[in-house]
This record gives sequence, structure tokens and C-alpha cells, in this order.
Amino acid sequence: MKRNRLIASAACAAIAGALTLTACSGGDSDSNGDSNADKEITFMFRGGPDEKAAYETAIAKYTADTGVKVKVIVTDADQYATKLQAAVAGNNVPDVFYIEQASLQSYVSSGVLMDITDEVAASGIDLDNIWPYGVDSYRFDGTLQGTPDGALYGLPKDVGPFSFGYNKTMLEAAGIPLPDPEIPLSWDDFVDISKQLTTDTDGDGAIDQWGTGLNVQWNLQSMVWSNGGDWTNEDRTKVTVDTPEFAEALQQFADLTNVDKVTPSASDAATLDTYQRWMAGEIGFFPVGPWDVSTYNKLDFDYDLIPWPALSTGQSATWIGSLGIGVSETTKYPEDAVKLVTYLSADPAAQETLVAAGVQIPNLIDMAETWAAKPDSTPANNQEFLDIVQDYGRAMPAAFTYGAEWYDELWTNIQPVLDGKQTAADYLAEEQPKMQALLDESNGTAEQAAAGS
Amino acid sequence: MTTTAESTTTGSGLTSEQRAKQASRRLHRSEHRWALAFVAAPIVGFLLFTLYPICFAVYTSLTSWNGLGPKTFVGLDNYVTLFGDEYFRISMYNTFFYMIGIPIGLALSLLLALALNRKIVGRTTFRTIYYVPVISSLAAIAIVWQFAYNGDFGLINQVLAWFGIDGPDWLQNTATVKPAIIIMAIWKGLGYSMLLYLAAIQGVPASLHEAAALDGANSFQRLRNITLPMVRPVTFFLVVTNIIAGSQIFTEINIMTPNGGPEFSSASIVWYIVRKAFKYQQVGYATAMAVVLGVLVFVITLIQFRLNRRNSFSID
Repeated sequence: MKRNRLIASAACAAIAGALTLTACSGGDSDSNGDSNADKEITFMFRGGPDEKAAYETAIAKYTADTGVKVKVIVTDADQYATKLQAAVAGNNVPDVFYIEQASLQSYVSSGVLMDITDEVAASGIDLDNIWPYGVDSYRFDGTLQGTPDGALYGLPKDVGPFSFGYNKTMLEAAGIPLPDPEIPLSWDDFVDISKQLTTDTDGDGAIDQWGTGLNVQWNLQSMVWSNGGDWTNEDRTKVTVDTPEFAEALQQFADLTNVDKVTPSASDAATLDTYQRWMAGEIGFFPVGPWDVSTYNKLDFDYDLIPWPALSTGQSATWIGSLGIGVSETTKYPEDAVKLVTYLSADPAAQETLVAAGVQIPNLIDMAETWAAKPDSTPANNQEFLDIVQDYGRAMPAAFTYGAEWYDELWTNIQPVLDGKQTAADYLAEEQPKMQALLDESNGTAEQAAAGS
Repeated sequence: MTTTAESTTTGSGLTSEQRAKQASRRLHRSEHRWALAFVAAPIVGFLLFTLYPICFAVYTSLTSWNGLGPKTFVGLDNYVTLFGDEYFRISMYNTFFYMIGIPIGLALSLLLALALNRKIVGRTTFRTIYYVPVISSLAAIAIVWQFAYNGDFGLINQVLAWFGIDGPDWLQNTATVKPAIIIMAIWKGLGYSMLLYLAAIQGVPASLHEAAALDGANSFQRLRNITLPMVRPVTFFLVVTNIIAGSQIFTEINIMTPNGGPEFSSASIVWYIVRKAFKYQQVGYATAMAVVLGVLVFVITLIQFRLNRRNSFSID
């Protein structure tokens, strides 16, 4: 009997254990002392070895300064969002984590992100020395995101000006004068040079060098904006992709392949994408982001940055990406967590590690200016990155809306336009109502969420 | 058992009959407790991991929820939206299109099973070869097939080129992306169906074949009138499980065509649900789609069982 009881109680304990496990939130047990040595905050982010190394520097310094320990969780880029969502659903949000511009509003209205305005002010870092675009991206006043007056919900991990470059070695070999690093090429000149570059260099009858090779999802923004068009109106309520300016820009994008024939054909591009071809030295003009610099500097040819070619307005335009670092609303140590954010975003030593690795430009304005002014840097004209952040870069069309579904809709059925089987104007006229419906829906959800919180 | 021993020592003032009765009652009681404990495990599991999630899902499908914050009750709104959603329609169509592979796969695996049931040289080797895809990781297989389907360097087009055929860029072409995925799915599932058919064929009593042979039935007639009816339960099982699995096709789509294929031509319903829930945070709406899918699969399976009952027969 005793043995049976023992087994029975063991079985009960096991079942009870299994039940409580599912209900367990995994929260840390309360620490007793107030001393910082007992504190531990969790930091979750995604990224490669460079980011990891840089953050280890910043975190070591942070722990040395404050005594607070930091537990780091690194994930793959494509797993990050799912993992964060699971953490939120399980009430086990990391104290400090990366946040995307486009999901900021839903995280704020769901009470996941903490308003860190006061803590950042108290931490003593100089916000004016961080790129305004980077800081303002994480401001939200309850209706509009990205405005300078909203409450602060994060600091930038980086700002990513998406610049344009050319293969210097190739242009010199073709005897083409190098483009001016200050004045943008006109679209016609750009197409003209691209035509000269598109040739069969080894004489086997197949073209093996192209003027350019752009990706509609990442490069159309520059063309549309430079042509005076945009995705939405100012207050992001109306989709404006059916304007003539927008249509003309998209048509010119498609014409690069179908009419001007200065890009690899769709099947050439499917075989080896244009990114690989650019790195193999087969492409004249190609976009360059700060995160590309470490890779591109190892290539066999020289390259440099220029302003984006300008369409009808005569002005260059491009986008600036950004990723933010936010603090959980449920953190036990709000002040320490915010302090960690300031170290990650604005610690000079960490910034230097990241910049030296060639994966981003400095977040700190004074440091960036010194960096760009250095005479022997590669690319030589890396001042262009700063010009984009300071002057002509914009946020991605969907960066500040509640979700990006309306924006992604444009790309889903765009292939016939790129293949020259449908005109840009026809396609955009078809798409506008669909995108508008999705944008209305997302704005509706945003209002509902704002009202609910 | 210890129980009996204990009861004899404690119940000293009773007759032996009463004692025996009491002992057996005790024995039963303790056995009942055990029985209940064993029954409770699956029931608790069912309540906790099946019934509760189903109720939760049905409720969630009636709300607008981003998966993070509080839910807002919206009634049947999600279901109304769903019937006007073009992508829901397309992804449903794609999902059913993929099921074309099921009869093809079953026919091929039956043929293989018949072939490998004969005494041919290297029978075990062949059986192993056909079964290897079944135990391989689907994610790894999808990546390998993605390479094979590459327009210029892919294995498939290289082989086609030997015969002078200029193969398409399989996964980038709206006309070929679904057949490409079907071919891969058939290849992957072949070994499993083959194994079940093999077992069923070997279970057909030899006496039936002998009797039929004595009556002058040739081998084709024996196949048609003996083997096929005898393996029908396996066919039924495979059709049901394949349709249920086929309606949930996701991994290969997500790996081989991460954006749902050119113009949404490869997106399956589960792929669309995942995208809505985890990319666009429309968990309420995605759950509504999942509920519709669940009901649909349930109804289809019910119909199959009905049809099967009408067709089934037994030999004594």
C-alpha cells in the first residue's frame, strides 16, 4: 500500500507539475536586495557577429559603470519577430529589445513598450547629438508617429541611409567621365551612361556587362519621390499611387529593362541576382547601404557614392531605414533598462566598433562628421550617407503607418509591369483601391487601438 | 498483494466472508482509482490542449486582435471580410490545386508497392531508397528542390536540356510553380504510401489468389478483383490523411517561395494565415480563416466516411 501511495503521489505531482509548467510565466523571482549586483536585465536583438561584438563592448562598459548584469539573447533575423511575439504572448517580454518602425504603434497601444521620455532626459545623454530622424522615428503622440513632439518609445539602433554607387573601375575602363559627387545625374544622362556600359565584353555574343540592375521593392521609392510622387498624402490617409508622377516613375523603372535594355533580363536576374552580379563587377550602378560597406570594400573593383539620379523634379531622393531599441512596459528596473538603451544607442566606444566593422554610420552626429571628413576612407564620398540623413532622405512609405500590409500589396502583382506586359498607369489604377482599402483598415485599427489603450 | 495482507490484520473482528468482501471492495476501489487516473490523463490532455484551444480560437475569430493587446469583439466581421478577400479565395484555390497530387501519388505508390512486392533483385535497397525522402527533413528537402528548380543552373532544367527542352524558371513562373511543388510533394510522400500498400498487399490471403487462379482468372483480373478491393481500407486511410495534411501544406511553400510565388500563385491557405497573423498582426482575422479551414476539412472528412461506409464490404 505504501508503495502504491508513493507511486500515486508521484504521478499526481508529475501531472500537477506539468499543469503548472504551462501556466508558468517564467518570470524571475524577486530579488531581495536593492544593490545593483543582484539586478539582471535581458536584452534581445537580432544581428550578425559585428553587432554582437559591438554590443558586448557596450554592455561590458554598462555593467562596469552600473553593476547591473545583462543577459543577452541573439536571434536570427527572420526569427526575431516571431520570437518577440511569443515572448509578449507569454508575458515574458525582454527588458530591452529591438523594435521596427512599422510595429512601434501596435506595441505602444498594446502596452508593451514603455514611454521612456523622462528616463532618457534624466540619463543625461545629449539627444541633439543623435540624428533627429533616428530619434523622431520612435516618437508617437497617439495619432502620428515620427513627429518631433511625441512621447519617446525608443532610441535608434542605427539609421540606414540608402545611397547609390557606381563601379569606378568599370567607368574608367569605358572612358566615361566619372559622375559628380555633388550634383545628381539627370535621368537621361543616367540611362545614357548605362547604355554605353551595357556590352558584351568577351565577344561571345551574350551581353555580360550591364548599366544597372535595380530591385523595384527597394529602388522605386527614390524614383517616385524624385519625380514628385508619393505613396500617400501628408497625413497618411489617402493612397496616391495612381498619380501621373507615380505612374511615370514606375514606367521608367520598367523601361530600364524592357525599352532601354540596360539591366539584366528577368531570367538573367533570376539566375544570378543583380546584387551578386554587382559584386562580380558586371554592373555599373548599384545601391549602397552603410551595412554593405564592409562587403563592398573587399571587392576587386573601386566604387564610390553619388547622389541618386534625379527625375523630373531635378532633386535626388531616397529612403533611410532604421531599427530602434525599446524598453518593456513590464520591466522591473525601468531606469536601468533605459540606461542600457542609451549605452547601446549612443555609447561612443560601441559606435566606433560598429562603424569600424562597416555595418552602419555613427548614430552620434559629431562622431559621424569626423568620420566622414577623414581623407582616406572607402568609399571616398561617404559624406553622401550623411547628406541623405541630414538633407534628402525620407522614411519608408510604410514606416509610420500601423502595419505595412497596404504597402506590400503594391509588390504582390507587379511582375507583369516589370515584364512590360502591362502599363504602369493601368496597373496602378487597379491597385489604388486595393491599397486604399488596406490603408483604411490599418488606420481604423490604429484608431481603435488608441481608443482602447 | 499487500492490500489483502493488511486488511486481514486490521479487520480482526469480522467473519472470513465479510473480510473477503471488504478486501475485494478495497481492491476494487484502489483499482478504480488507478483506472480513473489513467483515464484522466488523456481527458485532461484533451480538455487542456484541444478543447480549450478550439474554444479560444472560435472566440478569437470573432474579435479584432493584434496578438499583443486586448481583443475587441467584432462579431462576424472577420467572416464577412473573408468572403470578399481575393487572396483568401486564391490561396484556397491553390491549396485545392495542390491536392491534384494526391491521386497521382497514390497511383504511383500502389504501382511501386506491386513492383516491390515481387521477388526482384535489390528489393530491399529499392524500398529503402523510396522511403528515404519520408524520413528526411522537409525544410532541407525544400531547399534542395529549390536549387533543382533554378531556371539556369537547376538540375531539372539541365536534364531537360539533354533532350533539347528549354525548361522554364519553375518557381518564378505562375504556370509552373504549382506543378513544381506538386511534383516535389508526390516524391516526398511516395515512400510512406508505398509502405502501407506493401503491407496491405502482403496481407491479402494467398488462398483467394489461388482460388481465382483455379477459376481461370489472369493476373490482371486478380489485381482488379482481389488485390484492389482488399487494399481499399488503406486507400481510404491514405486519401483521408493526405487531404487533411494537404490542406495544411505550408513549409515547402514558405521555403521555396517566401513571398507566396509570382502574383500569389503558390500561396496556400495556411501560408496566408501565417502571414496575416505573424507579419501583419491580424490574429483575429487569421484565426477566422483557420476556423473556416478546420470546418471545411471536418466536413470533407465526414463526407468521405459516409461514402466509404456505402462502398465498404467484408468477407467472412
